[in-house]
Amino acid sequence: MKALEALNRMPAWARYMIYALIGILVLTVVESFESGDVSRLTADTASRAMLKWSVPILLAGLGGLYSERAGVVNIGLEGMMILGTWFGAWGALEWGPTAGIIIGMAGGAIGGLIHAIATVGFGVDHIISGVAINIMAPGATTFLSSEVFGNRTQSPNVPGVGQFTMPVLAGGDIFGLETPDILGSIADQEIFYLSDIANFSRGLMSEMSLFTVMALALVPITAWAVWRTRFGLRLRIAGEAPYAGESLGVDIIKRKYQGVIISGALAGLAGASISMELADFYQEGQTQGRGFIGLAALIFGNWKPQGILAAALLFGYPFGVSLRDLDGSSTHALLLVVALGLAAVAVWAWTRNAKSDVILAGSFSLGMFVWYLLSDTAPDWLPNTMPYVIVLLVLVFAAQRLRMPAADGLVYRKGGS
Amino acid sequence: MALAIELIDITKRFPGVLANDRVNLSVEAGEIHAICGENGAGKSTLMKILYGMQPPDEGKMLVNGKEVNFASPSEAIDAGIGMVHQHFMLADNLSVLENVILGSEPVMSGGRIDFNEAHRHLAEVADSYGLDVEADDLVESLEVGERQRVEIIKVLYRGGEILILDEPTAVLVPQEVEELFRNLRELKARGSTIIFIDHKLLEVLEIADSITVLRQGRTVATVKAEDVTAADLAELMVGSELPSPETTENTVTDTVALEVTGLTVLDEDKRPSVSNVSLRVRKGEIVGIAGVEGNGQGELIDAIVGTADISTGSISLLGEDITNWEVRARREAGIGLVPQDRHHEGLLLSAPLWENAALGHQTQVPFSKRGWIDRAGSKAQTERIVEEFGVRTPNVEVASYALSGGNQQKLIIGREMTANPVVLIAAHPTRGIDVGAQAAVWQSIRDARAEGLATMLISADLDELIGLSDTILVMFHGEIVAELDPASITPRDLGSYMTGAARSEDN
Repeated sequence: MKALEALNRMPAWARYMIYALIGILVLTVVESFESGDVSRLTADTASRAMLKWSVPILLAGLGGLYSERAGVVNIGLEGMMILGTWFGAWGALEWGPTAGIIIGMAGGAIGGLIHAIATVGFGVDHIISGVAINIMAPGATTFLSSEVFGNRTQSPNVPGVGQFTMPVLAGGDIFGLETPDILGSIADQEIFYLSDIANFSRGLMSEMSLFTVMALALVPITAWAVWRTRFGLRLRIAGEAPYAGESLGVDIIKRKYQGVIISGALAGLAGASISMELADFYQEGQTQGRGFIGLAALIFGNWKPQGILAAALLFGYPFGVSLRDLDGSSTHALLLVVALGLAAVAVWAWTRNAKSDVILAGSFSLGMFVWYLLSDTAPDWLPNTMPYVIVLLVLVFAAQRLRMPAADGLVYRKGGS
Repeated sequence: MALAIELIDITKRFPGVLANDRVNLSVEAGEIHAICGENGAGKSTLMKILYGMQPPDEGKMLVNGKEVNFASPSEAIDAGIGMVHQHFMLADNLSVLENVILGSEPVMSGGRIDFNEAHRHLAEVADSYGLDVEADDLVESLEVGERQRVEIIKVLYRGGEILILDEPTAVLVPQEVEELFRNLRELKARGSTIIFIDHKLLEVLEIADSITVLRQGRTVATVKAEDVTAADLAELMVGSELPSPETTENTVTDTVALEVTGLTVLDEDKRPSVSNVSLRVRKGEIVGIAGVEGNGQGELIDAIVGTADISTGSISLLGEDITNWEVRARREAGIGLVPQDRHHEGLLLSAPLWENAALGHQTQVPFSKRGWIDRAGSKAQTERIVEEFGVRTPNVEVASYALSGGNQQKLIIGREMTANPVVLIAAHPTRGIDVGAQAAVWQSIRDARAEGLATMLISADLDELIGLSDTILVMFHGEIVAELDPASITPRDLGSYMTGAARSEDN
């Protein structure tokens, strides 16, 4: 218990560091049980793929934050992301990658503007408006594709954006000069745990795309903008107590529009990162529901940027592992990780004397463990399902700790207090 | 003395209603000026006009001698006017500091809030007016009185010289009211002008220098507080004598209608919110439950009605154990409820009156027939309630939100009374309703008592409790800490039992 209290007193970044280190330790231990000869769970390829696949989820989650902090539920993130995939690809084909990023964001922002006009301007139910956008967006992109690309479902290949490798630590260049690859050399030593940390970290710092750098930078930028600036305080009052803001002369309508449009722009950026970075072309249905996963990350992350980052990495990890996992054995090992995680939840619930939670988490954990023992490979739908399962578990076991904006989802009418 | 505010012939119309009809108001700088009137007399509308929330249709407004036309509250704020709303305008999940600086944030380059400057200014304002707050506390952790202080600081932080307080004492216990009045006198001594809306006449007389009375949208009179009595004010407000909540002869019988024994209710954290409570209500008796809100009264009601799980103890109605009965069975056995929050628990606001009148009795004649809702029967029954209890409404088809608070409450009381309950649980039956409706509600309860109804009265209005009850029980931290005789107790003494300052010897 003392350890837990000490953990709670730490600054957030240190706490997350410790969680990450514990996570890698668990993965290292689980690896040693597996029959496979390579350490795939902590490989740099796994962590690099995790980061890459986390980017759209992170961007969509941050997009959701701006909207919901302003009190507008944005289930339309998925649709705005779809707009981003098409507009990003189109912009990149016509005028190059930088234009692709900007036009992709603009495409998503148009979706955001429509959502804002419907929900803020006309007081439409937020869910209905969001679902409408999710239905309209794929229709619009299919139409635009057949008109512009001459192919309803796909675009030609698009030019990608630049990459960046951290110098010194991961062997990146400085103005063309080679630098040492410290983490890589530690990884090659094959020391238990230490090499795993080094290899995993190296994956996070090498061959990062411009999208990854932007997405990661947006985490502290969002924390600063929403919690330390005038814009942020007024945005949050729109989501917490709009009539209180109104009574002090804050223009709530304007703030809500700003929040939802920024939300759309970030979802558009998320979409552009899929078509321009993950796939190299636009394709129908490319988002695969990642807008919804972004929304799940927003909830898991308790409407805070650092929480959304943690959630996005957590949700991206199964994708990262399964990508290189041709025989399904690494994904299979994840079942054991989940079983251990649930066991930890059970222990945590036991320290709080929450009996029903102990039983629930304990039996889930046992079920996962049995599944792990009785099977050799994991089904391929597992990585896609995991984010939702994790969010459900979070809602079951930690719902009291989640704190959504108080007026989130409520229709605001000027002078209607 | 100079006039801080002068309103001349202010008129405001809403569809079908003349809310303000050539209202005149003159408030001198540095005085506490009370505005009295029944609900619906136009006080709130007038204050919304003054605070820039609604424009007047006709008339002139002068602030410090200059004519003004506010398009929004921010313009009123710039003119030095601040408002403390009856329902606090605070965000629970933000800190005190964030709530205070909102809209007037000190910023550095890039829109960055200067938190150091904000802290300094807040401390300066709080210190100079003797208002004690913790800047970094979340508002959700504050008591009601503290929240009100935050609201006042919000105005002062903006350099507000003129404060409008809308029914500030409605949510406070007597000790908190005294604290508020101390703060207001301090503000006045430092030159602030205070406009104080209230309809509790004794409070008004205690704090105000002058009083303007509104009736049906018109100014009736402006008087000096020292020249009038409460009875004079009441007459000005309603045009008749002030009704009192007193009951007359003793109607208490020996038949125990409701008996609660050793009742304990646990909250989410497994702590007792109601702890080992035992009480009896006899036929023809009114048992008053006093207590600061949040001391277990709500949970006690829920347990008796059957909407909360109880941990230990038993409840019986006319000798029959109903501890494990469903809510509907209890209602049909004769438990009536006037809930504490009529908007959330008492009415379906967007449903017509006749549907509201059927609530809780929807399975019984005349509201239903052979398992179907009997529309004609329901409407006829609702019309009877409307007539008998004096609910002012054009017909029974209007949605219940269209009624004023007093008429909504009369409808709820009518609904419960016409079902001939054995026990009536009345929680804050006259909260937020005007003097006329208040008298009607009291009369209904008195009449039912005379006919043998057992009533449990939960109220924050101590005069009402003392006036109506045959016995008063005080709840504190979930326990009953005192059983008192209303004939020999003053509101002040009751207040000290309620805050736990005193405990009854024999309990």
